[in-house]
Amino acid sequence: MNNITRKCREINEDLLSIMTKTGPGYYVLVAVCGILAITLFWLPWAYQIYYGQGVTGLNMPVPWGAYLVNFVFWVGIAHAGTLISAMLYITHTPWRRAIARGAETMTLFALILVTLSVFVHMGRPWNFYWNFPYPNTRQLWPSFQSPLMFDVFAIGTYFTSSVVFLYFGMIPDFASLKHSSTGWRKDLYTALSLGWTGTDREWHVQGRATMFFSSFIMPLVVSVHSIVSWDFALSIVPGYNKTVFAPYFVTGALLSGFAGVIVMLTVMRRAYPVLKKYVTEYHYDRIGQMVLALSLVWSYCTLMEVLTGIYADTSLEKEHLIYKILTSPSMELFALMIFCNTFIPLVLIWRRVRKSAALMFLVSLFVLLGMWLERFLIIPNSLSRKFLPYFWHDYHMSWVEVSITFGAILGFITLFMISIKIFPILSAFEVKEDVGLPVSKEDDHG
Amino acid sequence: MAGIFDRIIGKLKDYRHPGYFRKPDHKWTMVVDLDMCNGCEACVVACYAENNLPTVGKVDCSKSRAFSWLRIERYVEGEYPNVKVKFIPIMCQHCSKAPCEIGCPVYATYHNQDGLNVQVYNRCVGTFTCATYCPYDVRRFNWFTYKRDKPLDEQLNPDVTVREMGVMEKCSFCIQRIRYAKDRAKDEGRPVKDGEVKPACVQSCPTGALTFGDLLDPDSRVSKMVNDPRGYKLLSELNTDPSVVYLRRVVEGSSGGHGHE
Amino acid sequence: MDKAVLGVFGYADVMINAAKKVKEAGYSVSMLSPVPLVHEIEHEMGKRFDFLRFFTLFGGLGGFFGGTVFALGTAVLYIMPRGGRPIFAATPTLIISYESTILAGVLFTMLGFLMLCRLPYFKKKVFEEKIAIDHFGLVIEGVSAERFLSIEKMLTENGASEVRWVEKSTC
Repeated sequence: MNNITRKCREINEDLLSIMTKTGPGYYVLVAVCGILAITLFWLPWAYQIYYGQGVTGLNMPVPWGAYLVNFVFWVGIAHAGTLISAMLYITHTPWRRAIARGAETMTLFALILVTLSVFVHMGRPWNFYWNFPYPNTRQLWPSFQSPLMFDVFAIGTYFTSSVVFLYFGMIPDFASLKHSSTGWRKDLYTALSLGWTGTDREWHVQGRATMFFSSFIMPLVVSVHSIVSWDFALSIVPGYNKTVFAPYFVTGALLSGFAGVIVMLTVMRRAYPVLKKYVTEYHYDRIGQMVLALSLVWSYCTLMEVLTGIYADTSLEKEHLIYKILTSPSMELFALMIFCNTFIPLVLIWRRVRKSAALMFLVSLFVLLGMWLERFLIIPNSLSRKFLPYFWHDYHMSWVEVSITFGAILGFITLFMISIKIFPILSAFEVKEDVGLPVSKEDDHG
Repeated sequence: MAGIFDRIIGKLKDYRHPGYFRKPDHKWTMVVDLDMCNGCEACVVACYAENNLPTVGKVDCSKSRAFSWLRIERYVEGEYPNVKVKFIPIMCQHCSKAPCEIGCPVYATYHNQDGLNVQVYNRCVGTFTCATYCPYDVRRFNWFTYKRDKPLDEQLNPDVTVREMGVMEKCSFCIQRIRYAKDRAKDEGRPVKDGEVKPACVQSCPTGALTFGDLLDPDSRVSKMVNDPRGYKLLSELNTDPSVVYLRRVVEGSSGGHGHE
Repeated sequence: MDKAVLGVFGYADVMINAAKKVKEAGYSVSMLSPVPLVHEIEHEMGKRFDFLRFFTLFGGLGGFFGGTVFALGTAVLYIMPRGGRPIFAATPTLIISYESTILAGVLFTMLGFLMLCRLPYFKKKVFEEKIAIDHFGLVIEGVSAERFLSIEKMLTENGASEVRWVEKSTC
């Protein structure tokens, strides 16, 4: 048994230990997060469904508020997963292997939150299925020219593709884990592995399929967030109607997505020190470079968004910019956003910062806050200053919206925590590939 | 075979026409003569009564959730002693190129054969997109299911639905009256006469500042009034092509170069 | 009765080498591994043709046309003008087509993957637990008792740590 063989065995054991070795702290945390998520998310939502959207802070010039901000925010979080697994696969970037699975899992749960945010936002959420295109008794198909219908298709495709891609990637791991696990796990993994044994034919098809999935998902990632941006850019509202929105939103989504991945990895590494073997400083360094680059692109887009407004020099754009940049409280929020998204990530220029998990974690939290603020400054803020000055009105979040926003975050954490006990958080076979093949010639120095 | 093919192609070419209707039945249009409007808000009250609009109370009003489908916008110019107050009634402009209509994913708002921008309450799922896209801010949302105190519930208009919460609504040009007039005209086998349809606001306007009619009828009063040199459309630079035409107020000392808004 | 021969190997290159030998002797083999050996096998035994691309191509094209017909057709079925936009409009339809291309492409790729791998398959297969973790296996199906000895010899000579003549076992 050589070194590599031993390492392969170790990977399996580590992976299983993450899933099976559960301390009391885990249960306490899941229970607390779960209960808080229910009280903060579902109860206020039930209250809102019972009484109506009036319990929010929305009003008539500003009918798109915090829920839509959450929607865009979660779509953004979802983006890193597929980017890491698809784009970096196509470009043969080796450091994706250890972090891809965790990021993909994040994508899935973020997309669940996306869907929930939309339903929470709707005035009559019990009729949500009216948005879906299927032959129905109402004798009415949805309007395929509506930007929201693009959303339904984009998010629906994204959700389906990421579920398929995530499950597809897990099949060899399930097959590998079912031998070492016992009890319900064994039954579950046996069923989920579909009888995968790892023959050369299976691996061949698997490799090709990964390539095809990646080639499909890479343009999908770009299209999903551009389509989300068109919800806004296809309207004629000043502050929404901007051509820069598609690249701006995609960059922002990737920025917040990578920040989310760093937060997730850091927490996971702290909870399961065994992961430190696989997710190393090197990974932090690479993601840090990514965040830095995306932050700079994002800053450029923000600058251009403001600049084009100033250059247009119409009364509408001026009022919009004055409200956004020069009027309190948007002014402070704008400054905070620039601070979080442009200045804080600049510390990533230093390699020492990029290699420190704690500092990266802090930077990521700032970036996440900044990205939430960015959407907040775009969505409700632009609507506060629409065309007719008589109907200008500010928007303030009500306790329901604040509570649902935090509840959604806690719900995300709960779902993720439950999932790490059921589904392998590391892509075992890819990490094994990273370790290298057990080859006889290398036995001596292996 | 070729004939069928040509017919299909011809049909598809038809569909390329914006707002496909070869010949709309009507093109309902309202003309607001600002010179005659004195801002009495009788139209607003009439609208509330006719269309079963709920009153939302002080708190919701302060949150900008008042239900007025038709509102009188006031703009004050100048510092306190020398103030000039301008006002303009604004209702749904029934745009021919309505931004709200493309936003709706479920066809709850679309353009009907009368040239109206209609809102189908039963289809609405409350995505708010129409209200967001509307440049005139004329759409109203049922934030709650509004209850009417006794005996106010007995004065509801039976021709108009009472909307439940979660539904978007807006000025319909009193579509129930249009429907009634069209039905009666059909029964009597004649076209709808000019002035036969009077939305509540038009009916209640004491100065006759509001005129309603069919733009397709060349002899109607609105057809003559829209060509008035004072005429303009609200936010016409947005290219929404509204069906409401405002006639500029003639103010002493003004060159007439600038309209309201 | 014919059974299968399973040879277990500790090293990938040894296994591939043995597989080559067995194949040259005229048997059909399948190689089991816990990690993809696609490049190594292709390097040794030449390129394999991949049928999956037809599934993907079919899915992509079908999705594109399906989405286009779907969006345009339903719009034409119920004429509802909105916003002065054409009913029969290409630009917004292309977005729907774009997404449905990806959706159908992904689903058909998954379908193709399952079909080409003969999955799901819950009946017994020739397998050994360690192959799922860190060892490599070589399976020769349909081997009669007389031939087993010669194959066993061939495999052990080529570095198999273990050779078994097995019924299909649950894996």
